[in-house]
Amino acid sequence: MAVIELKNVSRHFISDSGVVPAVTGLNLTVKDGEFLCVVGPSGCGKTTLLNLIAGFERPDVGKVLVGGVEVQEPGSDRFVIFQEPALFPWLNVSQNIAFGLKVKGVNDAEQKERVCELLQLVHLSRFGDAWIHELSGGMKQRVALARALALDPAILLMDEPFAALDAQTRDLLHEEMEQIWQRTQKTVIFVTHNVREAVRLGTRVILMSPHSGKICREYPIDLPRNRFLEDPDVARIASVIRDDLRREAASVAEGC
Amino acid sequence: MSVVWRRRLLSVLFLLSLLALWQIVCFLELWDETLLPTPMQVWQTLSAGLADGTITAGIMASMKRLFTGYGLSLAIGIPLGLLLGRNRLLDDTAGSLAVGLQALPSICWLPLAVLWFGLSEAAMQFVVVMGSFMSITLAVRDGVKTIPPLFIRASRVLGARGWFFYRHVLLPASLPTLLTGAKLGWSFAWRSLMAAELLYGSVGIGSTLMSGRELHDMALVVAAMLVIVAIGLLFDRVIFQAGERYIQRRWGV
Repeated sequence: MAVIELKNVSRHFISDSGVVPAVTGLNLTVKDGEFLCVVGPSGCGKTTLLNLIAGFERPDVGKVLVGGVEVQEPGSDRFVIFQEPALFPWLNVSQNIAFGLKVKGVNDAEQKERVCELLQLVHLSRFGDAWIHELSGGMKQRVALARALALDPAILLMDEPFAALDAQTRDLLHEEMEQIWQRTQKTVIFVTHNVREAVRLGTRVILMSPHSGKICREYPIDLPRNRFLEDPDVARIASVIRDDLRREAASVAEGC
Repeated sequence: MSVVWRRRLLSVLFLLSLLALWQIVCFLELWDETLLPTPMQVWQTLSAGLADGTITAGIMASMKRLFTGYGLSLAIGIPLGLLLGRNRLLDDTAGSLAVGLQALPSICWLPLAVLWFGLSEAAMQFVVVMGSFMSITLAVRDGVKTIPPLFIRASRVLGARGWFFYRHVLLPASLPTLLTGAKLGWSFAWRSLMAAELLYGSVGIGSTLMSGRELHDMALVVAAMLVIVAIGLLFDRVIFQAGERYIQRRWGV
């Protein structure tokens, strides 16, 4: 079943040098429970694609449908996790996780119970009372993930969430992300510039082309779980995608 | 000895040496006693005034005015600042007016205030409010404008809208600048009140100072000045430092 559909979507920006197309005539269908990774050179419209689905931006042309309904504004059914964790410094870890529940008017006892479960899920049970600035980058991103999962959204939109983390922490979070995805069966769209990360996590990888703002290639990833970043199969597929990516980038350079 | 205590000791020693210098200047009799009172005279006037309740009554009356006026300023200034920070139309109109009016010393409002409210408490409180609410408004506005856009986006994804968004996102997110504004507003309120009390005195610490002038009792003038300084210092140390610690714990700056 398709949960996300983009039909002939275009979106452009006006800059000093004129009209810059970010996404043009883009068609994309994402199935329920898919883990879709989006890769492409910088400036290819990856983030715009995410913003369109999130509802932060509206398409100039075309339609963005989620569950068959056109996206009008941001909603907690499509939770966005940013590269910066965007946690609220005036609240402690538990209060941050409970924020969305509080908006919904969930009672205190239920909030507490839910927060306790989520802290366990992201391995932060001891840090419920900590302030945000006391956490490491990886811990912050885990809190952001727990805050997202609190609202039980059908879709997680992740914009290079692990880009600012060190390699060990990223490995750990890949594992946790994979487990959470397997357990919760959420639909995930994961934007990254790291091709290997995309192959390690995704059920499908799409490569966006910079000059046309379109999807130029798709790669279904059928490798068994749980995967590792160092798996030879992961490396092999990643190198194929990387070659395609280089070719795309080169063709842009020639075009200039 | 901890660093904190060493620093406290140092500031006490500094004040004591200033006091000693004052005493020395008085001993040298460079000026007439009626021009420069001695520390002892000031101390006697102060303790007598505190004992018979004249200075205490002045402090209480001034504090009452200050709390009402400053409270009103916060009640007007904070919501207005939040609105100005979010609404460009309001900011371009009311916001620029506030910037302009801030250049006007609040005591300039006294003639109109007396005309509108009569020689009353309300006139003085009006001057206090005009002196402080705009600086609070502008600080809160700037606080709102400098909130990282990511916080706003995240809160929208979390579903915060309308009143909930203002109360649980904008207000706490702008707390650090709000505190700076509240502090500034406090000092403006305190100055405005003293100016108003000097010009139109009933009971109040500013009026105490003024009566010292009229009776040519410089010891009373200096005693009132010391009380004014002490109250200002007390608020800065007790209330605003508590606020700063609250923010430091959370933001970690």
